Amino acid sequence: MTDQILAALAKCGIDDYYINLAQDRSAQLFFIKKSLDMKRTTNETSATVTVFKTFEEDGQKYRGASTVKVQESMTPQELETMLADAYYAAGFVKNKYYELYHGTKEAMTEVKSGLTDKTLAQIAQGYAEALFAEDTQEKVFINSAEIFAYEHTEHIISSSGVDVAYSRKSAQGEFVVQCIDGQDVETYQSFAYNDWNPEALRAKAKSTIEMTYARAKAKSAPAAGNYRLILSGDYVSELLGYYSDRAESYMIYPKYSTFSVGCDVQGTEVTGDMVNLTLKADVPYSSEGIPMKDRELVRDGKLQLIHGGNRFAQYLGIEPTGNYNSMKMPAGSVTLAEMKAAPYLEVVNFSDFQMDTFTGHFGGEIRLAFLYDGEKVIPVTGGSVNGNIFEAQKTFVFSKELQQEERFEGPKSVCMDGVSVAGMNA
Amino acid sequence: MKVNSSEYLRKVKPVLVKLRDRLLQEYPYASILAQDSVTKNYSVSKTSSGISMKPERGFVVKVFDGSSYAEYSFNEISEDTIEEIAVHIREDLMPLSDKLPEGVKKSCYAMLADEPMVFSDSTDYEIDPKEYGDESIMGELTKLSEAGRAYSDKILDCRAFASYQKYSKLFLSKNRDMEQNVLWTCGGIVAMATRGEEVKDSYRGFSNLGGVEILKEMSDNVNKVAQTALDLLESEPMVPGEYDCICEPGVTGMIVHEAFGHGVEMDMFVKDRALAKQFVGKQVASELVNMHDGALAAREVASYFFDDEGVLAQDTLVIDHGILKAGISDAQSAMHLGTQPTGNGRRESYSRKAYTRMTNTFFEAGKDKVEDMIASISYGFLLEEASSGMEDPKNWGIQCMVSIAREIKDGKLTGRICSPIVLTGYVPDLLKSISMVSDEVKLGGSGMCGKGYKEWVKVSDGGPYIKARIRLG
Repeated sequence: MTDQILAALAKCGIDDYYINLAQDRSAQLFFIKKSLDMKRTTNETSATVTVFKTFEEDGQKYRGASTVKVQESMTPQELETMLADAYYAAGFVKNKYYELYHGTKEAMTEVKSGLTDKTLAQIAQGYAEALFAEDTQEKVFINSAEIFAYEHTEHIISSSGVDVAYSRKSAQGEFVVQCIDGQDVETYQSFAYNDWNPEALRAKAKSTIEMTYARAKAKSAPAAGNYRLILSGDYVSELLGYYSDRAESYMIYPKYSTFSVGCDVQGTEVTGDMVNLTLKADVPYSSEGIPMKDRELVRDGKLQLIHGGNRFAQYLGIEPTGNYNSMKMPAGSVTLAEMKAAPYLEVVNFSDFQMDTFTGHFGGEIRLAFLYDGEKVIPVTGGSVNGNIFEAQKTFVFSKELQQEERFEGPKSVCMDGVSVAGMNA
Repeated sequence: MKVNSSEYLRKVKPVLVKLRDRLLQEYPYASILAQDSVTKNYSVSKTSSGISMKPERGFVVKVFDGSSYAEYSFNEISEDTIEEIAVHIREDLMPLSDKLPEGVKKSCYAMLADEPMVFSDSTDYEIDPKEYGDESIMGELTKLSEAGRAYSDKILDCRAFASYQKYSKLFLSKNRDMEQNVLWTCGGIVAMATRGEEVKDSYRGFSNLGGVEILKEMSDNVNKVAQTALDLLESEPMVPGEYDCICEPGVTGMIVHEAFGHGVEMDMFVKDRALAKQFVGKQVASELVNMHDGALAAREVASYFFDDEGVLAQDTLVIDHGILKAGISDAQSAMHLGTQPTGNGRRESYSRKAYTRMTNTFFEAGKDKVEDMIASISYGFLLEEASSGMEDPKNWGIQCMVSIAREIKDGKLTGRICSPIVLTGYVPDLLKSISMVSDEVKLGGSGMCGKGYKEWVKVSDGGPYIKARIRLG
């Protein structure tokens, strides 16, 4: 398909372009309780072509771009028409001029992991086995599950010298645990792994089963008020995603974010732990062919890096880093036992946790939380957390215990003071 | 004007017929859904503009082996690959169930109904986006973005965007040969205003089943969006509590869709994940409430003629005067439950599985005037700008967020605004508390709906203004 696209680009007189060729295969298993309800496989090949047009208007130089997805089934004539249309459209996209990222030709990179030598069927079946291994009880059980094994190969070519390729396998999915002991309740859980790690999924299934059992015992919402709040698991990375988002070049250039290298991202009134974050490369190249590597983002609450793709990096006069999806953070200052020594509200499951990068607002409806009043721990459900990171970040305390997921490696829990909760008796 | 059919699907159809016939030699049931779509996105803001086009051609084959179903999705086919596809299904797809975890078995289903049907139809439009042209669309959006930014020097940015999708689908089985061609367009304006570290934004969406005729409506609203962003700079946190509230149609739509609609998707009944299953025939809402879902129930972005399983679209009356009458379902779930499918089997694309999904979901109009509804409140809030929501079919817990709560005191808006707002509570409590319903229905479909956190499909939702008692935080 590459030759067809290059021929069509030449015929259309398009000199500046990116071609991202993708081959995706998957094996998928869908379970309802202890039955396989559906099995699926997929096999797709496509290419995304971005064409660039340089033009001037009123003395201002612009670099317009337009993107089009193409497939092998398109005839040479269809391909030429689509690329010509895209090139025409690029003339109406008035982005300030920038140079394309200059790259080189590199050998194909296979992202080696424990998944590399397994077939997609073996990966899907292996993770299914791990998931159901803990499903041994009658009143709390896996209600439904979806397991996906993927193989993704990408070849990136540009008119400015980029010619790189990589392939990787991954596994991801979701499951729901139901408990019918007392109240009939459920917990949704997702998972994603770049490596062969069935024990991690088995542990996740086990903890979700325990969490759901606890939720069945929870009868009421916490009283409305301000709480010392503990968040754990995925919610820690979602909260910390605020710092990564605000440090992106596309947020900084238009002044949506005021972050700058060296600034105190937590403000200047921190009484708790300082944030330390590193961006983690999970693919060898970005979609622009920029080599990806781990980069320090925040050290002791001070921003070390503005990150992002080529265009906004040029506008800001900084090095392009590519776009990151994963982060890691070192262990915090206290053990979970120490964190839980004083009264707290630990929310372990929201219906949909939201972290708004613009307003700093975070929160959501509480599906399950544990309330410690200084004497006993009570499971509670209902009500909602309504916090703001601008205040909460002053008192962050992170746990020494760690978690390891595809997109975040770091403290298992974070604690913060005085977070507003809408609950009973309000 | 009627939307044209796909030249590509017309050309590839004989090959698909051969594939279907080849598979029917091996399996008692085989169907093929073929898709040829073009989605085009336009966006303009202060520092970034873009145009992207995503044509998508692909196929999903569904086969039945006598007890269960399997699917293969792919995006290239020719006469030469028919046998290759049949071999892949037999040797790679079907053996996926050979090694199941201990204690897990295969589901056992009957064969899908396949009554004979030949069908072809297209939706209408006024202004063809392709004919209107990229230059004109980008020009309109640029004017909107500039107008928003010029509204006040406190406006940090104003992004205007529009998308359209023209899709053609072909469904082939032993007895069915169905074709449809649909065009929808949507757009949005986001104005951002800043105060220190905090950035407040106001959003308004626009949509229709048709072409770029919505651009006019967008230009009429840009100043309102910019003014709301400025108003939000002065907003205060909400004091948590239960209040008398008036919900504008967008917020009504979010409650209809997120809080209740997901709970009547009957694939959730199959999994025992929906409380609604126990409430069919019972009162779940005030008798003022009548709720519909269906691709035929309204002319909006989720209107079509048949679903992704070849079932004709319908208008399902879900709640009739407060009584839960029926859920909505895909074909496989209906077979499991012994009910009739309602034309709600939808896929994100040919490459994804079909699930029971909502389409156009809304409450019917009532008889009240909005001004009378506001006047009836001694202390409460007018809720505007639905921002996000999450379903909880199992427990009917509400998790919805809105951007604006305008204070009402002694029947009048005071000008005070609280933001952001989380709505919580128990769905039937909220629906039963509905005491007034306005006389005009408005639907919107500028966003997408996920099943959990994935499987995004185009939907619309809405209704009239409603007055209800709601817990806000």
